Amino acid sequence: MTALATDIGGTFTDVVLVADGRLHVAKTLTTPDDPTEGLLRGVRRVLADAGVAPASVDRFTHATTLATNVILERRGAAVAFVTTRGFRSMLALGRQARVEEERYDLAYSPGEPPVPPTRTFEVPERLAADGTVLTPLDEDAALRVAERVADLGVAAVAICLLHSHANDAHERRLAAILADRLPAGTPVVTSSEVWPELGEYERATTTLMSAYVGPVMGVYLRRLRDRLAEVGITAPVHVMESAGGVLPAGLAASRAVYTIESGPAAGVVAAAREGARHGLADLISFDMGGTTAKAGLVRDGRPGVTHEFQVGGKGSFGGRRPGTGVPIKVPAIDLAEVGSGGGSIAWVEAGGLRVGPRSAGAAPGPACYGRGGTLPTVTDADLVLGYLDPDGFGDLRLRPDLAEDALARHVAKPLGVDVVEAAAAVHDIAGAQMGTAVHVVTVRRGVDPRGFTLVALGGAAPTHAAGLAERFGIRRVLVPARCGVGSAAGLLHADLAIERSRSFLAPAAAADPAALETVLADLEAACRADLALGDARRGRVTRAAGLRFAGQAHAFTVELRPGPVTREVVDAAVQEFYARYRASYGIDLHDPAELTVARVRVSLPAGAPDLRGTEPPRPVPARTRRAWFGGAFREVPVRERAACVPGERFAGPCVITEPQASLVVPPGWNGVLDDHGAVSLERAEDP
Amino acid sequence: MNADLTAEILRNALRVAAEEASIVVVRSAYSTFIVEGADAAAAILDADGRLVAHSLSTAIVQCASLRSALPYVIDAYPLAGMRPGDVFCSNDVYQGGVHANDLLVFRPVFAGGSPAYFTGTLIHVADLSGLSAGGMASDATDVFLEGLQLPPVRIATAAGWDEGLVRVLAANSRTPERLLGDLRALVAGVNVAARRVETLAAEQDLAAGIDGYLAHTEARMREELARLPTGTYEGEYAVEDGDERHRVRVAVTVRGEGVLVDFAGTDPQVAKPVNSGFSQTLGGVMYALRCFVDPALPMNEGCFAPVEVRMPEGSLVNCTKPYPGGGRWATVAAAEEAVFAALTRALPGRGAAASGILQAFSISGATRPWLHMAFELGGMGARYGRDGPDATGALFGGGRNIIPQVEPIEARLPVRIEEVAPIPDSGGRGRWRGGLGTRTVIRVLEDALVDTRGDRLLDPPAGAEGGGHGRAGGYFRERLDGVREPLPPKATRSPLRAGEAFVVETSGGGGYGDPAERDPDAVARDLRDGRVTR
Repeated sequence: MTALATDIGGTFTDVVLVADGRLHVAKTLTTPDDPTEGLLRGVRRVLADAGVAPASVDRFTHATTLATNVILERRGAAVAFVTTRGFRSMLALGRQARVEEERYDLAYSPGEPPVPPTRTFEVPERLAADGTVLTPLDEDAALRVAERVADLGVAAVAICLLHSHANDAHERRLAAILADRLPAGTPVVTSSEVWPELGEYERATTTLMSAYVGPVMGVYLRRLRDRLAEVGITAPVHVMESAGGVLPAGLAASRAVYTIESGPAAGVVAAAREGARHGLADLISFDMGGTTAKAGLVRDGRPGVTHEFQVGGKGSFGGRRPGTGVPIKVPAIDLAEVGSGGGSIAWVEAGGLRVGPRSAGAAPGPACYGRGGTLPTVTDADLVLGYLDPDGFGDLRLRPDLAEDALARHVAKPLGVDVVEAAAAVHDIAGAQMGTAVHVVTVRRGVDPRGFTLVALGGAAPTHAAGLAERFGIRRVLVPARCGVGSAAGLLHADLAIERSRSFLAPAAAADPAALETVLADLEAACRADLALGDARRGRVTRAAGLRFAGQAHAFTVELRPGPVTREVVDAAVQEFYARYRASYGIDLHDPAELTVARVRVSLPAGAPDLRGTEPPRPVPARTRRAWFGGAFREVPVRERAACVPGERFAGPCVITEPQASLVVPPGWNGVLDDHGAVSLERAEDP
Repeated sequence: MNADLTAEILRNALRVAAEEASIVVVRSAYSTFIVEGADAAAAILDADGRLVAHSLSTAIVQCASLRSALPYVIDAYPLAGMRPGDVFCSNDVYQGGVHANDLLVFRPVFAGGSPAYFTGTLIHVADLSGLSAGGMASDATDVFLEGLQLPPVRIATAAGWDEGLVRVLAANSRTPERLLGDLRALVAGVNVAARRVETLAAEQDLAAGIDGYLAHTEARMREELARLPTGTYEGEYAVEDGDERHRVRVAVTVRGEGVLVDFAGTDPQVAKPVNSGFSQTLGGVMYALRCFVDPALPMNEGCFAPVEVRMPEGSLVNCTKPYPGGGRWATVAAAEEAVFAALTRALPGRGAAASGILQAFSISGATRPWLHMAFELGGMGARYGRDGPDATGALFGGGRNIIPQVEPIEARLPVRIEEVAPIPDSGGRGRWRGGLGTRTVIRVLEDALVDTRGDRLLDPPAGAEGGGHGRAGGYFRERLDGVREPLPPKATRSPLRAGEAFVVETSGGGGYGDPAERDPDAVARDLRDGRVTR
């Protein structure tokens, strides 16, 4: 099997090819104006490296930040929004939270609404909370709205009517009336199709964003397909979705909001895969690139998934404060992201040192790249501390003198410390910020990180991983082979998957298992249709329900035991909910619970290509370098990973280098290289 | 490594601990009023009563509550007598509390064998007696009518709850199950934060770290305040009470390094729930001042230290027993607006026209117990160079995230919400327009009782520098025949029959500058977007 995986990030585009059991990797600069440009460059390079014919590629998986960027940069399609009479301003009024600094801003501005008032409409109709029709849809009024929408010449329409999650009849009829008046092919997206759950505001934003991003995603994917065809690749394109599966390209366009966390999700999938190979099921993925660091949790071998996600969210706790961004109610791998990457710029403000969130990116890059950057970055600090090899960083030679100059001017002098102290401080603060991301996915959720293994992915992660692990008392760190393109490698193993849900409000004790079974079966059938899985035996089905205490507002998603829903299945879910509640809040409560939602995920395991072992070691003379450990410079061994033999062991302090990454092994840590080129680090017992 | 960097790293850990406690409380509480984090707080303090860290995702106006109440807990239960596992509880407005429904819970954290730190949580609980369900009776002429009074009491020890006290609390609630659920949530919150603080104390010299942190914040706060021009600046704002007006007067004196905020001359307290206890006033003052300094400063003792606040006892802003404090919101908002007005004089161009404020209301079942408590937000005042935002959380720094959605409300309660919409032309005219107020129409499907708690409805938010005032909002009863009758701004247990509607209109913000100077493009945009109709 020949598989290609590509991941377009903010700074770099990673391309991974598996052909004949061997892995070929390329890293090219991202080309923001036309991302397919940088991508194609990398694809051609790996194909040439491997000597593989384009036509023999069987599978093409792709992760992209397109959907996120379209939303953040507000360059989606022009959308009209239609809702129930009385609520035309639902999106403009919003449910925005003001957080931190902006709460004290007397000149606060909530920003432009996601859709301008001139493109919002309302129609007379009304359902009760249980879906009963109180006021029938006024079809004449709907027709008038359709004409006005047609006059606007919008590219798509989003419809969200109150309580449509309980009864979609009015939305479907309204969509038909609108579609009839609009140019053929204009997407008309209904909330009951996109995400039929309770909570009109989030349902409306999710629907709106689907309509907003979908057309742009469709155009992009068609272009990608055409460009691939030009070089002779005809394999179907699969796009990473936020929950860690991949979608066929057609579905990715119509359900574009599912792809928002496409890239970061791939990293967590890669971590889960690497852990599984080592028999490890409880992992923290730590993905650090040029601009950001992301942490995700894998328990029992599976990444955690959230159904509350804020695009463009603000706040210092992973940037996901509810109410601060555009809420999107689709499943996403639960990640925390902080603006600390290798390119993050260090600066002094009012006597305090700050790192990030501004990044030097690929251009001009860190000062030590010698490409015109003059501001000190985390990479510059790491170089000054001896963690990075000036010569051993891919094609790039790093300039310690430029790093020192930048740190001296912008950090050391203003703080009145020497350059090394300044570099150590930048390294530590970046570490503390990354710690916040790990903290959010573990401690904040009541999860003790100490039994977990940290998996380092991305170019900058190996330099910081062991130090980060120490912060949390984590004793094991896993650094996969080719960790610099770890996210793209994760794509190779992603399953084809889709998730659907529908609100299901009922007291758990009185809920009719047969009614829940019917809803779940309908959802499963819809998922199978999405993936064109005709045969009911194909694919893995996961069923889950939302549960909360009657009278409370926040629900947990609890997986249901396989098989038809019975009273026992519901009762077991309630017990699981009680346990989760106790673990999260420390409250052992057994009050009546209620069901809130039914969810189904259907996945088709990827025919993932097997990889053969590593290349034979390439002898390189042993070297040493001065590096900063425990508050002093020490002369420590430096090894190239490519020169190590499987089974080879090394003890910290030392540095293991490879193209585009440098693994720092602090004192007290021991490492071993495995047959696949992964390094496993363990902390010795406390000294 | 220098002290600033240490403070930076420790700051994150302490803040996370407070934040985590607030999330635990908010998510595990039953009181629907606080599910969005509106009326809640969590903090870490030390045994000297200093505020070390405060939750950020909760209402800023509660920032002084836990700090104000802790000394009274320590007075009642000297440190030497505290034991690990003790939990204390209070709601006394005269001892740093807010009003009967805002329960404050504290737990000591031991280091070196004695209580060295405290973790605290606060939420507005579902019901704790008083004239009206939910605690918003506007005819409570003394504190005893507002709800059960709880001076600092030990509610639990390592051995468990004080069962007798818990039974008393439950017996004094219309919704005892929910009250106990809220109490469990409060205790879960202090427990979570206490575990974090214990860990931090075991890992490092926490006391020294905190000293350095608070000193650094204080130095920064002084530095920031020193940027304001020295002098004394006065401001005032009136609170509505039927035909009467009660005035909050303030003189803000910017001295060498620090600020004196003196409410001398403020009208005396009244036998109605419009007064504020000192801790709420202090919270409002801190919020107002912090709008004029670096907003990134952490909320801790360092912010309080350079600020002296004089609140005359027995005045509107510092009520004494038995004067009620439950309706404090209008007075706190008036105090904030008065501080803004004063500092506007100090810094011309940085002030704003007055804003519509948060308008609270509750609807409860007349024949069976159910309760819907919520609020709507008024338009913000315009300021130099900027229109006021529509219906957002002026004067408490929140946003509309605290307003529950229609579908969850209708799924739970016998009401139907028919409209939530901005009111065209409600923003004060001016070179920069005031933000719009909103209209919300809630039809009740069963007989119900309504409490309202509004202000700036009779005297709408004034404009500034020649700008017009905002449109006055109000509360209304829509009869079965469709006629809308006004309800008093501070109504209590006002009956609504099944099928009638309750209408909340919030006030628009004041405009800023001469309307004739408004940019014609802005006028055209307002017309196009429906913010104005003419």
